[in-house]
Amino acid sequence: MSECAVIKMTDREMLLKKISTYKFAALDLQLYLDTHPDDENTINKMNMFKEKAAPLVEKYEKKYGPLTKSETEMNNWSWIKAPWPWESEDDC
Amino acid sequence: MFVYEKRLQYPVNIKTTNPKLAKIIITQYGGPDGELGASLRYLSQRFTMPLPELKGTLTDIGTEELGHLEMIGAIVYQLTKNLTVQQIKEGGFEDYFVDHTTGIYPQSASGAPFTAAYIQSKGDPITDLHENMAAEQKARTTYDNILRFCDDYDVKDAIRFLREREVVHYQRFGENLRLLTDKLDEKNYYAFNPSFDKKCFNKRKPNR
Repeated sequence: MSECAVIKMTDREMLLKKISTYKFAALDLQLYLDTHPDDENTINKMNMFKEKAAPLVEKYEKKYGPLTKSETEMNNWSWIKAPWPWESEDDC
Repeated sequence: MFVYEKRLQYPVNIKTTNPKLAKIIITQYGGPDGELGASLRYLSQRFTMPLPELKGTLTDIGTEELGHLEMIGAIVYQLTKNLTVQQIKEGGFEDYFVDHTTGIYPQSASGAPFTAAYIQSKGDPITDLHENMAAEQKARTTYDNILRFCDDYDVKDAIRFLREREVVHYQRFGENLRLLTDKLDEKNYYAFNPSFDKKCFNKRKPNR
């Protein structure tokens, strides 16, 4: 039985996956830091992943709408724009 | 305070509906070892945790579990999307369907609705941390059991991610327990509740 994924992701999904990968790496290290707060090496690594995510988040939000509501909005409330995280693009 | 991020922690892109599998996986939404119980357990226990490391860990893992709850909801939603009556019958989904249609409802695989009786918040960090380590293992076993019934790669992929997080959380709670017991009077720590009987912290002969 073959176990290879047939991945047909859209550009949006691919960018979001990249963001989530960096954010996950940072989150997992943050969890480690809760019990090892003085581990400088890990703090640096965590910061590095956060820095890698930041420009991608900016790119994503410009193109597809906000990931969090912290962004200032111009003249239309794009927060409610589809798809929501549990949806796929062909739902919209 | 909580802030919502409009993305899943790990992507869920299921293309093939499978109501039978959805009925099994819903147990990690609202079942005895599910993600709802996990987040409520940690986010409730954290109030009486004694050390900053422990407060941080419970806050962060409790929050992550909410993200896992959302992932399970997304999996069940996508597995039951655009179902036909024929598929409902073939998948044995009638009993869930008659009560909830394809709404996402916190229940176990056998249909028992979520209850706070699945969790404990004992106000004793030694007790609570042991509960949490057991909870992570129980959730890990549940994911292992779910994987026995998954033949769809897209479902397996997400479930494996969630399973792995149980292992990591278990590790973190183990470190919490060690951090706590290291700070207690090592001869006596099971005789006291470190959150209630504050004197049990080993501060160079506490004034008893």
